[in-house]
Amino acid sequence: MHNRELGSEMSDAGKKDVAETPINEELYFRRVAALEMGGKEAIERQHANGRLTVRERFSELTDKESFREVGTLAGSGEYDENNKLVRVTPAPYVAGMARVNGRPVAIGGEDFTVRGGTTFGAARRKGGQGGFIEDLAHYYKIPLVNLIDGAGGTVTSAKRRGYVAFPGVHGFERSVQLLGEVPVVSAVLGTAAGGPAGRAILSHFSVMVRGTSQIFAAGPPVVKRSLGRDIDKEELGGAATAVDKAGTIHNAADTEEEALEQIRRFLSYMPQNVWELPPVVPCDDPVDRCEVALRDIVPEKRTQPYSMHDLIDLVVDKDSSFEIQPTNGKTVITTLARLDGRVVGIVANNPKFYSGAMDASSAHKQIRFMELCDTFHIPLVFLVDVPGFMVGLKAEQEATLREGMRAVYVAGQLTVPTITLVIRKCYGMAGMATCNKNDIDLKLSWPSGEWGSLPVEGGVAAAFRRDIASSDDPKAREKELEAELRAYASPFRTAEAFAVEEIIDPSETRPILCEYIALAEGRLRANLGPKRKAGVSP
Amino acid sequence: MTITNVASEVIGSVWKVEMNVGDAVKAGDTIMILESMKMEIPVEAPVDGKITEFKVQPEDSVDEDQVLCTIES
Repeated sequence: MHNRELGSEMSDAGKKDVAETPINEELYFRRVAALEMGGKEAIERQHANGRLTVRERFSELTDKESFREVGTLAGSGEYDENNKLVRVTPAPYVAGMARVNGRPVAIGGEDFTVRGGTTFGAARRKGGQGGFIEDLAHYYKIPLVNLIDGAGGTVTSAKRRGYVAFPGVHGFERSVQLLGEVPVVSAVLGTAAGGPAGRAILSHFSVMVRGTSQIFAAGPPVVKRSLGRDIDKEELGGAATAVDKAGTIHNAADTEEEALEQIRRFLSYMPQNVWELPPVVPCDDPVDRCEVALRDIVPEKRTQPYSMHDLIDLVVDKDSSFEIQPTNGKTVITTLARLDGRVVGIVANNPKFYSGAMDASSAHKQIRFMELCDTFHIPLVFLVDVPGFMVGLKAEQEATLREGMRAVYVAGQLTVPTITLVIRKCYGMAGMATCNKNDIDLKLSWPSGEWGSLPVEGGVAAAFRRDIASSDDPKAREKELEAELRAYASPFRTAEAFAVEEIIDPSETRPILCEYIALAEGRLRANLGPKRKAGVSP
Repeated sequence: MTITNVASEVIGSVWKVEMNVGDAVKAGDTIMILESMKMEIPVEAPVDGKITEFKVQPEDSVDEDQVLCTIES
């Protein structure tokens, strides 16, 4: 299936050089060696495993003819007794600059066909070519794309060096710095452990392929040696574990092509760096599109769920939604989308899973997404239907309270404009994580909105225990108190007090959100640059 | 013939069972309704087929990933 001609653009260029200027014969020879990667057999093995070669991945991902390689000739040469070059094994890493969606990026990836993509011990600098393109992204303020297909260092590097390197000395400091400067995206396209696995995590967006890629802190042989357990690598670090269960990697794709398409899609929402605003695209979806269907999307019965995904699609620009982490932390939906061509981050509780209650995994997911949007000047829209934090033993064991309060803490420090639109429930501390309420940011509600410290039912029994117990008819007294308190719960009473700014007709949602997001631009522009980090997150 | 296990995505309890053993289902049909976090959670058939067995009944507690019924298709 992956029978593309290897780097045909480059080899044509090489041939032309040879024809016109014969002195470049060695350059031509070395370039051809680079394009041959680990050789025909190794490439066939890579294809047989359902994987593309690193050069095929580059041409799949980047704009046509936009790849400008750096370090083409890096590798190890073999010379005869007269010091004449016999053969070159290319470095197991390919890197350079390219364009994605017409915009420049720094890009690099391990070449698994050469020594399994193991770390190349370039003498020039720590990190070799991977370190070079990180520097390129840093100094030129362009996004970094990592196509990961390797397991990092091997013990043989200590033998070569004569000593073992200390962890963290010339380690990930540049990768860490980049997270506050430019978009960093990673695709895990093989089995990743060690340094390359770490690099996948130090990304704003990561994607892996179901069935053909795995990622873990340590692979099956180490697990066997350390814990005496046999486990295969797909179970240990395939997408079912790393994406769906753990959230180690954001998204999964069914094929490499789809994974690379997801990277292009993600980058289309991002500015080139934190000193710019995200790109605005022309929009043919009318700004004043009023959707009457939104008036009945919330069932009258409070105990019935509805599709928050459908609701989002009815509001945002047609086909503009790109969901991050769709299979993890499912009680909340985090999705990048556009309103009148402008990028927004949408955080929406999902009533189909635990009533949209915030648990540890959805808190993590929401925090990560809020930080992403805050870093890249993407305004946030919260579509709220949250009954509170998740309850129960499992939830407490997972530190739901702490993780949930961390979401409240991060929401409280957002500097991008946020709009909070209550669809149905907005209760308690989980409700606080849906707005940056001390600022100018808007709190809107549909007429179906209801909020408070906790829902009336249950709350009455606890707060009026003595009153209820001493009544002749405790059940009736409880009902009476509930009815009395429910009257205060009307969202219109809160609007009377200007404690929410506006109650809107659901059908007006798109026009109103589009207007406020357009308005946000000046405020965003006035706050460009890196974000200050403050305090100790709980 | 393949047997598909229909599992619960949530912790909760069985509220109502809407179908019987032997009933034909289409993907997306509601087989039963669970109650979790004071919310009615419909359990939908993941595939077309015929219900061959129920592993739970109303008022049973269910765990995440617990098999609720099987569909033959």
